[in-house]
Amino acid sequence: MKPFKYLSPTTVEKAISYYGEHSETAKFIAGGTDVIVKVKEGWMEPDYLISLKKIEEMGELHKNEATGELSIGALVTHATLEKSLMIQNEYPIIYDAVSNIGSLQVRNVGTIGGNLINAVPSADGAIPLIALDGVALLHGPSGERSAQVKDLFIAPYKTILKSGEILKKITIPTQAPNTGSAYIKFGRRAAMELPLIGIGVLLTLEDDMETCSKARICLGVAAPTPMRAFDAEKLLIGKKINKEILIEAGNIAADESKVRNSIRGKAWHRKEMIRVHVKRMGLKCLEIIKNNS
Amino acid sequence: MSNLNPDTNREFDVIGKRIPKLDAAQKAMGRAEYIQDIKLPGMLFGKILYCKYAHASIVKIDTSKARALAGVHAVLTGQDVPKKMKMGFYKDNPPIKKGKVCSFRDEVAAVAAISPEIAKKALDLIEIEYEELPGIFDPEKAMEKDSPLVHEYHKSNVLKLPWKLHYGDVEKAEKESDFVVEEKFTTQWVTHCCLGTSGAIALFDSNDNLTIHTNTQIPSLAQKDFLESLKAMGLENKRVRVIKPIIGGGFGSKLDTYAYEHIAILLAYACRKPVKIMFDRVEEFKATSTRQPTVIYIKQGCDKNGKLTFRDMRMILDNGAYTSWGATTPSVMMMPITSLYRVDNVKYNAKCVYTNNTYSQAMRGYGNPQATFAIESTLDMLAQKAGIDRVEIRRLNRNQPGDVTPQGFKISSCGLSECIDEVEKELTIDGPKEKGIGTGIASLIHVGGGARIYKSDGCGAILKMDDYGKVDIFTGGTDMGQGLDNITAQIVAEELGLFVEDINVVHSDTDVCPWDVGAHASRSTFVAGNAALGAAKKVKETILEYGSKLLDADPKNLVLKDRTIFVLDDPEKSMPIDKLLRKAHFSPQGKMLMADFFYDPDNENMGKEFKGNMSVTYAFGAHGVKVKVDEETGKVKVLDYVAAHDVGRAINPLLLEGQVYGGVVMGLGYALTEEVVTKDGQNMNANFRDYKLFTAKDAIRIKAPVVETYDEYGPFGAKGIGEPGCVPTAPAIANAIYDAVGVRIFDLPITPEKVLAALKEKKSATTKI
Ligand SMILES: Cc1cc2nc3c(=O)[nH]c(=O)nc-3n(C[C@H](O)[C@H](O)[C@H](O)COP(=O)(O)OP(=O)(O)OC[C@H]3O[C@@H](n4cnc5c(N)ncnc54)[C@H](O)[C@@H]3O)c2cc1C
Repeated sequence: MKPFKYLSPTTVEKAISYYGEHSETAKFIAGGTDVIVKVKEGWMEPDYLISLKKIEEMGELHKNEATGELSIGALVTHATLEKSLMIQNEYPIIYDAVSNIGSLQVRNVGTIGGNLINAVPSADGAIPLIALDGVALLHGPSGERSAQVKDLFIAPYKTILKSGEILKKITIPTQAPNTGSAYIKFGRRAAMELPLIGIGVLLTLEDDMETCSKARICLGVAAPTPMRAFDAEKLLIGKKINKEILIEAGNIAADESKVRNSIRGKAWHRKEMIRVHVKRMGLKCLEIIKNNS
Repeated sequence: MSNLNPDTNREFDVIGKRIPKLDAAQKAMGRAEYIQDIKLPGMLFGKILYCKYAHASIVKIDTSKARALAGVHAVLTGQDVPKKMKMGFYKDNPPIKKGKVCSFRDEVAAVAAISPEIAKKALDLIEIEYEELPGIFDPEKAMEKDSPLVHEYHKSNVLKLPWKLHYGDVEKAEKESDFVVEEKFTTQWVTHCCLGTSGAIALFDSNDNLTIHTNTQIPSLAQKDFLESLKAMGLENKRVRVIKPIIGGGFGSKLDTYAYEHIAILLAYACRKPVKIMFDRVEEFKATSTRQPTVIYIKQGCDKNGKLTFRDMRMILDNGAYTSWGATTPSVMMMPITSLYRVDNVKYNAKCVYTNNTYSQAMRGYGNPQATFAIESTLDMLAQKAGIDRVEIRRLNRNQPGDVTPQGFKISSCGLSECIDEVEKELTIDGPKEKGIGTGIASLIHVGGGARIYKSDGCGAILKMDDYGKVDIFTGGTDMGQGLDNITAQIVAEELGLFVEDINVVHSDTDVCPWDVGAHASRSTFVAGNAALGAAKKVKETILEYGSKLLDADPKNLVLKDRTIFVLDDPEKSMPIDKLLRKAHFSPQGKMLMADFFYDPDNENMGKEFKGNMSVTYAFGAHGVKVKVDEETGKVKVLDYVAAHDVGRAINPLLLEGQVYGGVVMGLGYALTEEVVTKDGQNMNANFRDYKLFTAKDAIRIKAPVVETYDEYGPFGAKGIGEPGCVPTAPAIANAIYDAVGVRIFDLPITPEKVLAALKEKKSATTKI
């Protein structure tokens, strides 16, 4: 492991200016559960690690009760999300995803921001935030900008973030009434497991409690970046949601996916798992909506 | 069973007690010294360069840049390894390769430097030119005539090993059978996953005597290997001292010596300094040896009542590029093949075939899990074919005390029947069967009273007592986390009327401990236990002699208990044992109490026909499992597990359960998730992310009923229990899956993909009809 210097700024501005000083020889670090692994393995050899952990504003988890908007600081850990009753009750899809990341130890330090910016196809945290139409607030040397979470990813390990840019927080717009959401990581083990495939579904029903007004079907490990199955979503809009149509949506989503064979799993089985779990997560959404009404 | 000592008819004081592991606190506090923690003055750090091909000629090696790097003390290549320095019982494996490489884990160079970082840098500076050769990765293809040869000098890829037996008349029995099942099974590479990675420190004194601190399960046999290496290096008549630090797991992985140990020796000799080689996790996965993978062809038959008539098995073992104990696992596979259940006509033949894959070693169960997977899976199929209940067929054919099996195994005690009862009791499902839920059962036999694989199956113990009633016992047996220290201390404490904390167990240092063949074959409690008991008995005799004089009583009437010697029918007449010891010591012609004992069990080496009573006694067990199969995903969830074992007597039920739990979870991984994934000989999942070891969250609650049969040869009646836990797990699971959803998986591990593919195939077959 190459030795590095560790800097801990307390403001976003200071962090960005540190980065300006050291540019490509520096790397931001949050929980470090991805960064430190890479440094130890020699895949990454920064001279400086700029820790974001001391920047208080980035660690806040807050719901604006007046507007219904949820704000998740990039430094919020998986464990914080997992333990939040508000998340458990109102954003079950986030809870499903973060409560099964790695192990307790990893969840205690790993952050949602790091999960997004690390940008692997298997990132569990990305799928729910895409399904919830999350917006990422970025801050860089040339100021602030925002982007849809779904548009953050370019390729494995590659995001739209420019050099020196920091993800400050993610905001989740107000959820419509009659909305249910659910995520499943399909894997072989109960812990310390990257998903073989990750499936997140969000459904909003009209007041008749049958007709779908909004659908999100989001897949992890189904393509080089987290993806939405737009055709499958389209199928559901304006339709009455039942098991049959969810099966059909699952089939379409499986076709839309670009799953591959790897040492971890075969493409045909991954497709099959998309079919099965789009249906199962869809049914779970209906269940949640019913229970909440 | 009550906790009565049948010899004295009194309650045991220490035997049968749930005494926590003696080193538990030390380990929990981080004070246990593993190889990682040991530093010697002036120590250098060695690193090994592995090759980049599965099969290639080495055209050129240039080490000049590495040698020139500041801080490098030595760079070795195959040229620097003495010709006769070869590892393994087949002596086909030099610690650093020369001329050509035959697998990805082949060592091509080694470096010693003042820091691990510099050593690593030096490795990067070594330039090697290879010429790639065609590789062979499928053992059945490697047997074909025009297959490339892994070792040209060997002329064939098939090893010259004698694994073949035929008792009774299998052909005739097959003809006379009412039902026959014939199938093919395959099993994968799995690895031990010791949490403590491998490592060694070698150093020579000024007279060229070697001391090596190394992670081993076989101090005495490792000493022999290292002596041979020294001899090959021209160092004859030297001494070798092997010291084993505390190790983080063995499971058979440390039953042979590895290249890194011999390389540490070569580097230490070249540098005249201590040299330490430590594996990282990737090396641990890639450069230590796996369980033996197999291709199994099996035929089994029974008569119309379900009585087994014959068993005919043929196996092809992927030997990998070099030969270690994996190639001898057929000698243990023979045990379940000839002796699990009563079956008179048995045939077996196994071929070990060189390939350009990794080579295998010993691993918990030593071939037994592979053979039992095929036997117990087909037994369920046979039962179904014959229309007999799967529990009944097992009961009908069960082994019984007094049996002599076709291989000549004398079954002394046998609680298989009781184990089957226990499983049946736990697994009976009341009411209608839920969809996707099923149960499975499988039994096991394993050596439980040593195993005479080597010329000696012995173990020595030396016991001395001090003036304060404390004991030091120097045992040949190796504690590797399984708890032999506890067992030894409990046996000695029971025999001498002392407390466990009075007994200090010293093990795994060949300068002070007597010889032992190694911590293998579930033999340590039985063999090392009997050795300790033998030494304790000798000392006890002397104590009683003195006691008889000091208390003026018949020695037969004296009892040792609670650190005191007293007269049985006159308990007022007593003396603390420490006082007795001082009286013995501090009197004219004084005496200090010490004794030695070498126990070599009365078992037999198997001859050319593989007949002989390999073990003094055998352990039996039956496992039952309830699973739920998700028919849409193929995922198998284990709901309930019961593992009943005949252990003779549980010297320490707490440790016994630990062995069973650990064994079963290892077996579950073998059955469901674990696999070393390879691509053309290359390990593709050398990390815990992709090598799917069960996590704590995957582990399930296991019931481990203990059947005590009190074996007359075991120390206080005990038999071995180290390995059985992982033996019948895979077939129990496979049988349960079949019971649940009607598909049978013949290939381990049973992944969701395989189950779902089988379910789909079954569905399309039924819709076609
Ligand atoms: C044992 C283990 C198990 C794991 N299991 C899972 C799992 O089940 N599912 C899963 O999805 N992941 C898993 N991970 C990966 C990892 O824990 C998560 O991705 C985690 O959320 C990363 O967060 P972090 O804070 O540790 O990121 P870090 O390692 O600190 O950073 C990751 C990347 O993001 C960048 N970065 C971090 N924060 C910011 C920011 N605010 N702005 C800009 N760039 C930033 C860093 O520069 C780096 O490139 C596992 C990791 C380990 C070691």
